[in-house]
Amino acid sequence: MATLDRANEAATTTVQSRPPRIPSGDNSVWADVSPLLHAACQDLHEGDLIHGDNFNLFAAMSALEIMDPKMDSGMASTYYSLDEAIENGAAPVPVSDDKTTDVRCIIDIFDHILACEATWHKGHSLAQTVYSCLYLLRPERTSSHALLHSFCQIIRATCKAVLSVVSDSRTHEEEDLFIMAYGLPLNEDGNERCLALLNAVEETICRQLRACKTTSSKRRVSEDIEPLQNNPDLEEGYCRALLCRLRFRKHFYHILMSMKRPHGGGLELAREHIASCISEIGHIRKSSDFLRASAPEMSEQNIENTTASGCKPIGFDASLNCRLSAPTPPRAIKIFCLEKALEYFVKLLHDLDIICSCSLNPSLEAALLFVVKFQKSQPDLVSRAHLQLLLVQNGKLFGRYPMFSMITRAAGLPEVVENHDIQKNEFMVQLQQMVMNLLKIICTNAAWQRRKLGKMLQDWRVTYVQLELDFKKEFGNTSNNETLGFKIFQHILVWVEEQTYWIAFRFLTVGFELELYADHDYCMVYWYIYIVLINLAEKKHLRMAMSSGTGKKKTKKKRDSLKDAGTNLQISPAVRFLQSQIYLAEGLGMMLAALRNEHRIVPPQSPFSTEHEVRFSGFPLTVFKCITNFIKALQRVFGKFYSALDF
Amino acid sequence: METPNKDETEISKVEFNDSEIEYISYGGEHHLPLIMNLVDEELSEPYSIFTYRYFVYLWPHLSFLAFHKGKCVGTVVCKMGEHRSTFRGYIAMLVVIKPYRGRGIATELVTRSIKVMMESGCDEVTLEAEVTNKGALALYGRLGFIRAKRLFHYYLNGVDAFRLKLLFPRPDLHAPLDSPDKYGSHMHSDHGDSLIEQ
Ligand SMILES: CC(C)(COP(=O)(O)OP(=O)(O)OC[C@H]1O[C@@H](n2cnc3c(N)ncnc32)[C@H](O)[C@@H]1OP(=O)(O)O)[C@@H](O)C(=O)NCCC(=O)NCCS
Repeated sequence: MATLDRANEAATTTVQSRPPRIPSGDNSVWADVSPLLHAACQDLHEGDLIHGDNFNLFAAMSALEIMDPKMDSGMASTYYSLDEAIENGAAPVPVSDDKTTDVRCIIDIFDHILACEATWHKGHSLAQTVYSCLYLLRPERTSSHALLHSFCQIIRATCKAVLSVVSDSRTHEEEDLFIMAYGLPLNEDGNERCLALLNAVEETICRQLRACKTTSSKRRVSEDIEPLQNNPDLEEGYCRALLCRLRFRKHFYHILMSMKRPHGGGLELAREHIASCISEIGHIRKSSDFLRASAPEMSEQNIENTTASGCKPIGFDASLNCRLSAPTPPRAIKIFCLEKALEYFVKLLHDLDIICSCSLNPSLEAALLFVVKFQKSQPDLVSRAHLQLLLVQNGKLFGRYPMFSMITRAAGLPEVVENHDIQKNEFMVQLQQMVMNLLKIICTNAAWQRRKLGKMLQDWRVTYVQLELDFKKEFGNTSNNETLGFKIFQHILVWVEEQTYWIAFRFLTVGFELELYADHDYCMVYWYIYIVLINLAEKKHLRMAMSSGTGKKKTKKKRDSLKDAGTNLQISPAVRFLQSQIYLAEGLGMMLAALRNEHRIVPPQSPFSTEHEVRFSGFPLTVFKCITNFIKALQRVFGKFYSALDF
Repeated sequence: METPNKDETEISKVEFNDSEIEYISYGGEHHLPLIMNLVDEELSEPYSIFTYRYFVYLWPHLSFLAFHKGKCVGTVVCKMGEHRSTFRGYIAMLVVIKPYRGRGIATELVTRSIKVMMESGCDEVTLEAEVTNKGALALYGRLGFIRAKRLFHYYLNGVDAFRLKLLFPRPDLHAPLDSPDKYGSHMHSDHGDSLIEQ
């Protein structure tokens, strides 16, 4: 980088000898750098570079080495351009002049596209998966071929619909490769028209199927129906194989359209289409024996195949538009095999079905629990995006219930307060926004979710403090504690605390799923869970007691009553459930501490001591205080052994 | 930022004495091809020469090479700098060639870098490793790194990564947050006590 210094000298001389042509701004001077570059070129060797002060790692890593196939996506592989590929017959229309071969090849294309679609959903770029199909890239080319054309149209429309759900939901922050679709033809076809054409094609094949099954005596009636292809022995099999594939597309598209309806209005209908879709997948699977048997070369049943027949599909080239795919080095993408793709779709359909079964009750707590339960099956991006769009529409729960009324209900306030002016309080507005964010965040993938929950904890705490200050300002020196405003504040404050501990609990438990904890961490993690749950149960109990009107008395006694569940009959099932979780966490924490004491779990003997609490830096201060006291208590009870624990 | 190439074919180990391994801090342009060859061979991410130079020019004292009888058998490449409010070290690349693995060479390389980072005032050291890279995860786990977060589909091959972190202890450890916090002031916080004492 010595070059740089010499170049700088050159630059200075140039600037002096030639006045800048572009007017200078406040902090900038414009100069012609061509002479500088010319001068520098003579000194530059391979691997040298001229750079400014702001040359950073990102810039270094963005540099490409031309003609290195690992980096240079512009390197031509088979063809230089789509036109060249088409001219060379890479995607003929019809695929073959022989009708039987044409149908066979088209089924291969359908299958491979399905495999590509699943691969796309799982996080690869659209350009290098579905749009590696050359037929999709030039919509007008297929118009003479109704079967191929209708299929291509519905695929483009489906991709567009899925893409819009995912980009609207904004659950994709880490999955943004998914929505990159620059330069791809997605918009060509009107939705209605694409279904109409698909239905017409389906109808024709239905009649062809019926015709080939009727006995020869009746045949005359339907003689005017031209068969799908030339070989009568294969007619029924090919008709069936096509029908289930076309119907799958139709129902899948209907699902997307129904789920999009506002206020969850299309969920019932969507469930019907989901059931149909799943049954068509069954038919697709059943058709594979026939397709394999009628392929030109009998292929082994290979688990790697992207087509049911086992043949390589015609008309695909992933390298042609890999320049469109993403600002990343090109990678050879491994397309899912057909069976894996079908499995993916079955899971997707089941997940969508669960979403459609969501009861759209006006309850925040129920909605949060629904999502947590839904996430247990580790749903993929597309279904998570759908759930999020269902939950939050136009700033309302399910598009129907204003957030403030959901909060007041959750806080156990009577319905009359739902329109109270307090909702315009700056921090109440903020709170509504936070609840909306929470609903969205818990729909994201666990890794992203946990990070966001960690950050969110801080927001909830800050808002709590701000609300509390407002509360004191307004009601601090009046004796009038019975006004509605007072009550709203009081309830919501407790609820915000409860919700904060709920977030902390979720943050801790998602860590298990992500495999973030090592063996020797578990002890500490369970203590944290234990403390968080105690606080959560306490707040929940207090909030419930407040709404049943016995708040004041209960507040004083809450801890005794919580500890001794047996003697207090007024504890709600929800709090009782938390109590059992508290006992579990306590028991596990104790057991793990004992194992450490017995040296059955050995923390690493690192030359560098490290601080584990980094994981929990966003937690409410109460939690830290509890933990610190807790450790002191443990040390009192267990003596010197505990001083060795590095909490 | 690394992802190892998947090829796990058994390679016959080389017989050597641990004391025969020589560790050398990055010494200039003549070391660059050695580092590049090693990393190119073992890690799948393609790096341009500028990426290597970016690291070794700015932080030559954080990069080390291991030699056996004049042959370069392992290397570590790092950087450090401000990150938000902390001063953070970052391990960018770590490789030991197959015949020399399992003898503590990587541990020694990384330990040397971390020591320099610590002496230079770093508060923490981080890196990313594929969730499936058992060897690297075990190695860093033994050095005291924790899995601070998981990064979804971090690598271009679609695999998740762990962000590993080693936090050097600071004296003010149990005062957790920057700002004084009124949040818990009115709350009881002695559940732990009472529980143990009962
Ligand atoms: C990871 C790598 C650098 C380790 O090099 P190494 O010199 O064999 O590592 P060490 O001998 O210092 O190993 C130290 C400890 O790490 C753990 N470890 C290393 N490799 C392991 C493996 N394959 N499986 C399980 N544990 C392993 C062990 O706990 C080992 O200690 P032990 O031998 O006393 O049990 C090497 O395997 C490599 O170059 N891999 C490919 C590149 C790579 O993955 N780099 C790291 C990316 S973040």
